[in-house]
Amino acid sequence: MKCEKCGKYEATTHIHTLSNGVVSEKYLCSLCAEDEGLGVTHHNSIDLLFSSLLGDIKPKETKKCTFCGATFSQITEKGKVGCAKCYEAFRSELLPYIKRVHGSTEHVGNVPNSSIPEMDSVAQLREELNILIKEENYEQAAVVRDKIRQMEAESNE
Amino acid sequence: MSNWYSDKENKNCVTVSTRIRLARNLSDLAFPSQMTNEAREELKLRMKSAIKQNNSPLIKSLKYIDMADVPENEINAMVERHVISPEFARTNTGKAIILSDDESISIMVGEEDHIRIQVILAGLCLEKAYKTAQELDSILNEKLSFAFDPKLGYLTECPTNLGTGLRASVMMHLPLLESTGQLKQIGDSVGKIGFTVRGIYGEGSKAKSSLYQISNQITLGLSEENAIKNLSQIVEQIIEKERKAEGYIEKIVLEDKILRAKGVLENCRLLTSEEMMNLLSLINLGIRLGIINSEYETIKLLIEAGPYMLMKKYGTSTPEERDIKRAEYVREQFEAYRKA
Repeated sequence: MKCEKCGKYEATTHIHTLSNGVVSEKYLCSLCAEDEGLGVTHHNSIDLLFSSLLGDIKPKETKKCTFCGATFSQITEKGKVGCAKCYEAFRSELLPYIKRVHGSTEHVGNVPNSSIPEMDSVAQLREELNILIKEENYEQAAVVRDKIRQMEAESNE
Repeated sequence: MSNWYSDKENKNCVTVSTRIRLARNLSDLAFPSQMTNEAREELKLRMKSAIKQNNSPLIKSLKYIDMADVPENEINAMVERHVISPEFARTNTGKAIILSDDESISIMVGEEDHIRIQVILAGLCLEKAYKTAQELDSILNEKLSFAFDPKLGYLTECPTNLGTGLRASVMMHLPLLESTGQLKQIGDSVGKIGFTVRGIYGEGSKAKSSLYQISNQITLGLSEENAIKNLSQIVEQIIEKERKAEGYIEKIVLEDKILRAKGVLENCRLLTSEEMMNLLSLINLGIRLGIINSEYETIKLLIEAGPYMLMKKYGTSTPEERDIKRAEYVREQFEAYRKA
């Protein structure tokens, strides 16, 4: 994506500005970001912006998402959440930011179909199995493995 | 049905097009920025099979295209036609698009979110566009499990899209509000209630297409229906203000400007895309004011004479060649409109 201001260079800075409870977004290159007083002197500038939005919350750096492995500082640096499970892993860290962006933390509106297709259930169990193996929780892993075998056998019948 | 930029579908001239976008992610794959190449392939496969297994006429009318099979110029032309986002066009690996013939439906696979359902139609028709997007959403949901949290709604890679994942926007042509300096004030006041007004095409450059996009910013804590209802009311008010501004400008001055623009477009031999935008904007205003007849298709020309669209049509490569072809193309079209 090109810089919104000059249109010449790649946008490297994603700026969220909060004014009267409303957030506006801007994508700027490093030169224009500097013009706006958001000089990029090191690669953690978005991190700093994020941290200022997040106030005094200091996440434990050792904490990682068990599914995708993202840490909170990686999320703030990119301005992107790693996976759906990150929202569980870093919920308390993300909630104040979400509240400031949307003015709410309660979803209103459509919900997906509750019935999860079988294909995905097996896939989800496999992911769960991988996580359990990584965590060396072999006892629980065996239970999940048997469940997968059973589901696969049923679908082959 | 014809493309969103077909002016035949839209004679209002203030509201150009309506776009609905729904962001969805699969619950068991990392979001695109964290995805491995294997996961990207897996995502494409699952999307492909979700569509294949569905027999609804809506899905049957769509075709699946792997972006790796699309030539670079065509990818850029797709951006010009608003079929895909510039972000999506940046790389073509691990991406696919599911497209309807008239390109009013495009489902981007592997954009910032796994799935971005887009419906884009000519004119102001938020409810109709949303209904189609919602139908596609529920069809895909029959085969795919979407990442969802009861409190946070649909989970998205960027928290700014959390909740409904809905971005509803209306493209408007607002030359009079722009020239009378009222747009900033409108932008500020809609900003306070969670909506945004953004210039598109040539923002910050000399080109003035006077095209603006009005869209919702808040996606959490506001239902789809209410977001659309609020946007619709805002758009109606802006239309009213733009119409009212017609009375503020001396008619002879406007008429002179508009007819001069027509003269240039009918006779030019070299036409840059910047100059074309400025002039077509005047023509569009002229149609609205009844100075130019309604056969003229300004938005269609604006899109079809874009740099990559011209390259695709004529195989031209240098900007100079394109300016010649653009002038030729616009002259031909104007000749046809004049005769109509």
